[in-house]
Amino acid sequence: MSSSLKELFSEELKSANDVESINILRVKYLGRKGLITESLKSLASLSLNERPKAGKALNELKVFIEETLRDKELLFSQKVLESRLSRESLDITVCGKYIASGKTHPINQVLSEIIDIFEVMGFEVEEGPEVETDYYNFEALNIPKDHPARDMQDTFYISDDIVLRTQTSPVQIRTMEKNRPPLRFISPGKVYRCDSDVSHTPMFHQVEGLMVDTNINFGHLKGVIETFLKEFFGQKVGIRFRPSFFPFTEPSVEVDISCIICESKGCRICKETGWLEVLGAGMVHPKVFENVSYDSTIYTGFAFGMGVERLTMLKYSINDIRLFFENDLRFLRQF
Amino acid sequence: MKISVNWLKDYANFNTPIDDLVQRLTMCGLEVEAVENVNDDTIIDINVTPNRQDCLSHLGIAREISVLYDCQFKYPEHDFIAENTELDFNVDIINTQLCHRYAGRIVKGVKIAPSPKWMQERLMNCGIRAINNVVDITNYVLLEFGHPLHAFDLNKLKGKKILVATAGEVTKTLEPLKIRLLDNSERILQDQMLLINDADSPIALAGIMGGSTSEVTEETRDIFIESAWFLPQSIRNTSRILGIKTESSYRFERGADIKILKKALDRAAYLMKELCGCTIHGKIDIYPKRFKQQKIKLSFDKINRYIGMEIPKKEVLRILSALTFEIECSEDELTVKVPSSRCDVTRDVDVIEEVLRIYGYDKVPSLLPVAPIKIHSQDSEAKKVTYKIIKKCRELLLNEGFNEAINYSFLGPQDFDLFNINNEDIQRNTINILNPLNSEDSMMRTMLIPSLIRNLVYNISRGNKDIRIFEIARTFLKTEDKQLPIEERHISILLCQDKEKYLYKDNVEDFYILKGVIEKLLKNIGIDEIHFERSKEFFLHQGRSADLFIKTHENNKFMKIGYFGVLSPQVIQKLSVKILKQEVLAAELLLDKIINNLMFKKITFLPIAQFPFIERDSAVVVDDTLELSKIVNLLNSCKDSISNLIEEVAIFDIYKGKGIEDGKKSVAFNIRYRSTDKTLSDEEVDTIHKKVLSEVLPKIEGKIRS
Repeated sequence: MSSSLKELFSEELKSANDVESINILRVKYLGRKGLITESLKSLASLSLNERPKAGKALNELKVFIEETLRDKELLFSQKVLESRLSRESLDITVCGKYIASGKTHPINQVLSEIIDIFEVMGFEVEEGPEVETDYYNFEALNIPKDHPARDMQDTFYISDDIVLRTQTSPVQIRTMEKNRPPLRFISPGKVYRCDSDVSHTPMFHQVEGLMVDTNINFGHLKGVIETFLKEFFGQKVGIRFRPSFFPFTEPSVEVDISCIICESKGCRICKETGWLEVLGAGMVHPKVFENVSYDSTIYTGFAFGMGVERLTMLKYSINDIRLFFENDLRFLRQF
Repeated sequence: MKISVNWLKDYANFNTPIDDLVQRLTMCGLEVEAVENVNDDTIIDINVTPNRQDCLSHLGIAREISVLYDCQFKYPEHDFIAENTELDFNVDIINTQLCHRYAGRIVKGVKIAPSPKWMQERLMNCGIRAINNVVDITNYVLLEFGHPLHAFDLNKLKGKKILVATAGEVTKTLEPLKIRLLDNSERILQDQMLLINDADSPIALAGIMGGSTSEVTEETRDIFIESAWFLPQSIRNTSRILGIKTESSYRFERGADIKILKKALDRAAYLMKELCGCTIHGKIDIYPKRFKQQKIKLSFDKINRYIGMEIPKKEVLRILSALTFEIECSEDELTVKVPSSRCDVTRDVDVIEEVLRIYGYDKVPSLLPVAPIKIHSQDSEAKKVTYKIIKKCRELLLNEGFNEAINYSFLGPQDFDLFNINNEDIQRNTINILNPLNSEDSMMRTMLIPSLIRNLVYNISRGNKDIRIFEIARTFLKTEDKQLPIEERHISILLCQDKEKYLYKDNVEDFYILKGVIEKLLKNIGIDEIHFERSKEFFLHQGRSADLFIKTHENNKFMKIGYFGVLSPQVIQKLSVKILKQEVLAAELLLDKIINNLMFKKITFLPIAQFPFIERDSAVVVDDTLELSKIVNLLNSCKDSISNLIEEVAIFDIYKGKGIEDGKKSVAFNIRYRSTDKTLSDEEVDTIHKKVLSEVLPKIEGKIRS
């Protein structure tokens, strides 16, 4: 009986080719009224001798059919899934939907790089007005009205007494007026000079710094500036300090770095000298301290200032300062 | 200043390779900017800082070299025997405030001719044109001593006298005084200007330029050579007002050496005698204000503390005396007497600089200062918050695809005209620059959009598409009661996109894209409540723009903090580039005002709802002109008026077109109901939802969409 059933099942299985027909077969053989179930019921009509053998064969057949159907079903459902997945397949090389991120202006990128370096050294950030009084921009910084040092900067005037600040140094005066030493801060911001060509724009950015305390000396000035320049340009950069003149510092310093364009071999950028001027500095002039009522016999300090455009141009080999303010997207997107 | 190395060797006994000389000069504060070989000479161009007038001469530079190389220094030949004649000539200084010393020599029997070739060459190499022997000699001495001289044709001076006085002191009429100068320009003089006069009229602008009436010409035979000292401020003032800068004014305004002027004068007379075959007569030297020598006291300890290292006393003394400072010195202290050539040295720190710049900045060891830890003040906390918010705004805009621009802080009247901004508008309260580079950039910005529009035009005219830019910068608003303008940060955003070129197209109005960016930006920095009204700005499209309001700190009332929208077609039309298809959108947000009105809420955790929610969707048909906010506000107000079980209201569809009659739109919304203390039943929710609809529908004249 079971052998004929098995033959029948094998025969019918051949024509089953999807999950649906497998389910039909399952019902036909294993269902409540299925062929196997019915056969098991009919065992009762057999003799006691025949029963165990026939029963065992039927049970084996049942397990066989169950397993066969399960395997087949798995096979078919896998095929179904596969065909669905391949139907739903996408071209993964088409680019995703997003808006390309914009870029921070290179000047602001470099500005925050500079600020980060000084913040690590404990410098705070101070700001002040861009439209300034003549007093804060010049007089308080030891640059009287008829001093030739005023020739060093071409000034935009709003009135006789009001100017567009030519440097961020007035922030130093305003901050010193409001606070007592010790002081350690930088003042980043826009400054203005009445000038326009390949290397000058009427507006540009400066970062100035000031440190005041008892016993600050020239060696400290060198140490802090060297630390900054090495962080910014890399540890290997050559640095030299040479005497210069600013009315608000004494002694005054001009700081050069070894030319990073030609590696000091001499090029157009460093005017064949191998050195690039990047920063001005000096010990704060006692007159400046007196102007903010600090006792210049007790306090000493150093100040420094640098042009952000200059540093950015060196960093990215940009040859025309005006590019920064044309805001051509092909320029802005490069940084 | 151009310096001839061969010429230097007349005075300083050095013989070093040029490279070394250039290096040493640069490292002592005389920066060599260029080196040029001319014939058998080398010309070095030195950038002399404004404090070092003593180095605007070959003798000055030679002096520095003698200190650097510790070598001998000598003055050039200037001794002669003058004729012993009675002088029939008078000099009178009326204004001794402005002229501290006036010396002169008379030379007679000059033969005007070209100067010798060696002199012409030296002058030319240093950038001065040769004219004739007399003028060349005054220029030669100028480059040699750094002291400006002037040669007058003696016989053209009226009344055999010279008066040094201001225009105000010599003028006799109400008419302003005039002078014709050597450059043949006629100048009107102001009362405070110092002049050299003869008995009749001005013959020179003191220290700046001679007059043409007493000019040395071919016919000149007798000469008066002037060597004087004028107050720097006065020279600078006159030079600036008249716009005349000369080699002479350049040196006088930096403070000439009052003692050297006699040597320079004699040197010129000596050269004239040697080279022009003349005789030298008499000497004039009026010196009413004697030079007061500065004495500066300082201690060796101060020097070392200021520098941060110990410089040997012996070296300090060697440097200072080689620089011609006179020194008195005890064990710990020294008193320095400053020579007349170094009036820039007035304080102890100036002396320290002199020592250090010769000793060498490079010899000072670099140190890192030890400084106390600083506890942040409240003031600096507020600043930190501001920086954080600016950073957040910048990052959000970058993520939305906007590139950061930086523009000059200027705009001009043409920008206001372009934007139809009338005279009453507050944005016209500009402060103006007296000396702008051009009129388009003659005002300080009160708003940023005009700059971004310039960027737009620039980019489009160069073929760039998809313009998304923003700028964060200060604006400057004039106020009547304050000396300085109000400076406030704004954010401006500009959007002009070419959507047809996008791979993934959607039909969202650009207005909503920009509005979305602004809403996200404001929510991101903590502003929950934003109120929008149709904008009143003339340059914006009236149907596609809005003014923005947020609540103020002070009285919780709404305050305008910006505007945004599509630029009016009238403005677009006036631009110098054609923008046909795309809309141009711009926003201006008053960032500082926003930051000042931020309310910092303390975040307190709310328990997460435990019971499930039930949602109901409805669609209503209303007039197309009905503003959506009205529906939303009404639905939200039901939370209070009908049931606190309403958790959230959301619009999810707005539809016009097929199935909806003209002039109407269908608005679909979803309400989520939830109780905090039980599971709601469908029946309960249905009852509430019905109430909500019957409350809202009549107020919006809406019907449930069937």
